[in-house]
Amino acid sequence: MLRLYSTIQKEMLILLRDKGGLIIMFIMPMAMITLMALIQDAPFRDYQEMKIPLLLVNNDNGNLGSTIDSGLYNSKIFEITKLSLSTKEVKQKVKSGDYNIAIIIPENASDLLNSKVSHFVTKKLNEAGLSDSLKIDESKLTAELSLEILFSPDTKKSFKSSIISSLKQSTSKIETQTLLKLFNKELKLPDNGGNEKMKDFVDLKEINTVETTVEELKLNSVQHNVPAWTIFGMFFIVISMSGSIIKERDEGSYTRILTMPGSYITVLIGKISAYLGICLIQCVLMLMVGLYILPNMGLPVLIIGNSIWAITIVAVSAGLAATGYGILIGTIFKTHQQASTFGAVSVVILAALGGIWVPVFVMPEYIRMMSEFSPLFWGLSAFHKLFLNGGDIQSVLPNVLKLLVFCFINLGIAYFYNKNHHK
Amino acid sequence: MANSAIEVINLIKIYKGASIPAVNNISFSIEQGSIFGLLGPNGAGKTTTLSILCGLIKATSGEASVLGLSLNNNIHEIKQLIGVVPQDIALYPTLTAYENLRYIGNMYGLSGKDLNTKIQDNLEIVGLSSQSKQRLETFSGGMKRRINLVAGILHSPKILFLDEPTVGVDVQSRNLITEHLHLLNKKGCTIIYTSHLMEEAEHLCSAIAIIDHGEIITSGEPKAVMKEHGTENLEQLFLKLTGKTLRD
Repeated sequence: MLRLYSTIQKEMLILLRDKGGLIIMFIMPMAMITLMALIQDAPFRDYQEMKIPLLLVNNDNGNLGSTIDSGLYNSKIFEITKLSLSTKEVKQKVKSGDYNIAIIIPENASDLLNSKVSHFVTKKLNEAGLSDSLKIDESKLTAELSLEILFSPDTKKSFKSSIISSLKQSTSKIETQTLLKLFNKELKLPDNGGNEKMKDFVDLKEINTVETTVEELKLNSVQHNVPAWTIFGMFFIVISMSGSIIKERDEGSYTRILTMPGSYITVLIGKISAYLGICLIQCVLMLMVGLYILPNMGLPVLIIGNSIWAITIVAVSAGLAATGYGILIGTIFKTHQQASTFGAVSVVILAALGGIWVPVFVMPEYIRMMSEFSPLFWGLSAFHKLFLNGGDIQSVLPNVLKLLVFCFINLGIAYFYNKNHHK
Repeated sequence: MANSAIEVINLIKIYKGASIPAVNNISFSIEQGSIFGLLGPNGAGKTTTLSILCGLIKATSGEASVLGLSLNNNIHEIKQLIGVVPQDIALYPTLTAYENLRYIGNMYGLSGKDLNTKIQDNLEIVGLSSQSKQRLETFSGGMKRRINLVAGILHSPKILFLDEPTVGVDVQSRNLITEHLHLLNKKGCTIIYTSHLMEEAEHLCSAIAIIDHGEIITSGEPKAVMKEHGTENLEQLFLKLTGKTLRD
């Protein structure tokens, strides 16, 4: 026990005095979390929840204006600003890029619509011989009623079409409702107080062609980047760890340890414990960044789910996988330069495959299949299960198992390599 | 032999992939309480022999025992009885002298007041007690060598192996190290030592063996061996027996 405690103490002292190592282990992943969360915030919102800035100038006090207003609000795709401006001023706002879209509803639009519909109904009833008592003013029927829509110059045609058709749908519905109401009135039919809502006769139902998981739906820049760069930071410890092993070997400390009583495995466990401790401190700090720092930068707060124990188990298993990998690299490579280069490059590749840079679900199918073999993916998807799905220990056990197996495979290879190459 | 610290019989070591043995059927005995110099040119087999005796590598064949304990069966007990001062400064540069020695002491099962006393006493002897809180990376070569020596003797070993303990150090540090080795020897510690410095070996050792190409070519008390080969000093004897050809 004294040997183990002493080794942990020694490793911790060496690590804490290695300023370069501390920067790699703590500052770099914290900076990456902050930067990547800020950089990827817009694309993530774009992907899921970004709202399009829309300027609404509603000069109408009636039903038409309020229905369009509520329709736009209920669509949840617009960030609506309501202002009272002239057409010229609106045009300037859109041109300058302040808004992607602007809609101007003219003054008394509802009255004009009602008047047009009323004259249309009367005309039709007269033609049908159902009523001839009312006079028809043709000028009212042909009076112009236009909603003005302004798009920013870079708006795609397809997007324009969808907005126009959506607005057309809203106005058609109001026209139909007004028509129905007036027919009821003229034919003296009950109209439920004039508030009868028309239901759609045909519903549109969207069917996804690709299965979308709950995690994908809830994923935002913070929920992705905090666990992703936490795992990355933990795995980047392979550089310090392999360096420590090579340095000990080069400087003769390894040989000295072998001449001392007791098993080298105790020393190795001490080394793994120290680096695992660093991994766990890293993990806590990174989660703190997501919980307390990023929200102050205008980003969403990190949601970490309900199970601290499950998070701890994932963090420990990811830390063990990282330290196991570090020991393997430190054992196989002869120089610190070789180990640090290979360690860094391999972790970056595993990170790219594991969905650290961009989520796996936006990757092509064949890359997604390769992701299944990245330990960083196992760690990241375990965190996603806990954070986004509110998963428990059981839900992350397969990932934990994979990480532990990865750790033991690395240690096993290192053991046999060491045995065969130092005879 | 009951009085032997080390007993080596027909020891052979052939490294994996090598065609020539690094140690070729050597036998020798080292008396308890002696200072034994294992001398030889580069690649002669000195470090391999020491590595086998320290339990770092296994011999291909042959037998060796340390204080009557067979290396094959008692390696853990033997490691507690021996101390090793490697040629490299096998310590941690970013730790202080005290932290390095505390770690080494803990590894030998020493702790608390006993360990602190041993550290302070030894640092006092090697003249580094006032620098105990300084990191090793700030030490000169000679200071590092002295700490390296202390690290090997902290647990009061019965046998001390030294692989060129004075290489690259200033005259004062070398003098202090050799004086300390004499002191340890007087206290009953058997010392097995390798060096290229023949003058130092002649002054220090009570027995020597010259090894070349993995074989012991002569052994005995330095004066007796020199007399036997008709040389005035150990350096002449060394060159006479190992030749003047440069070794890699």
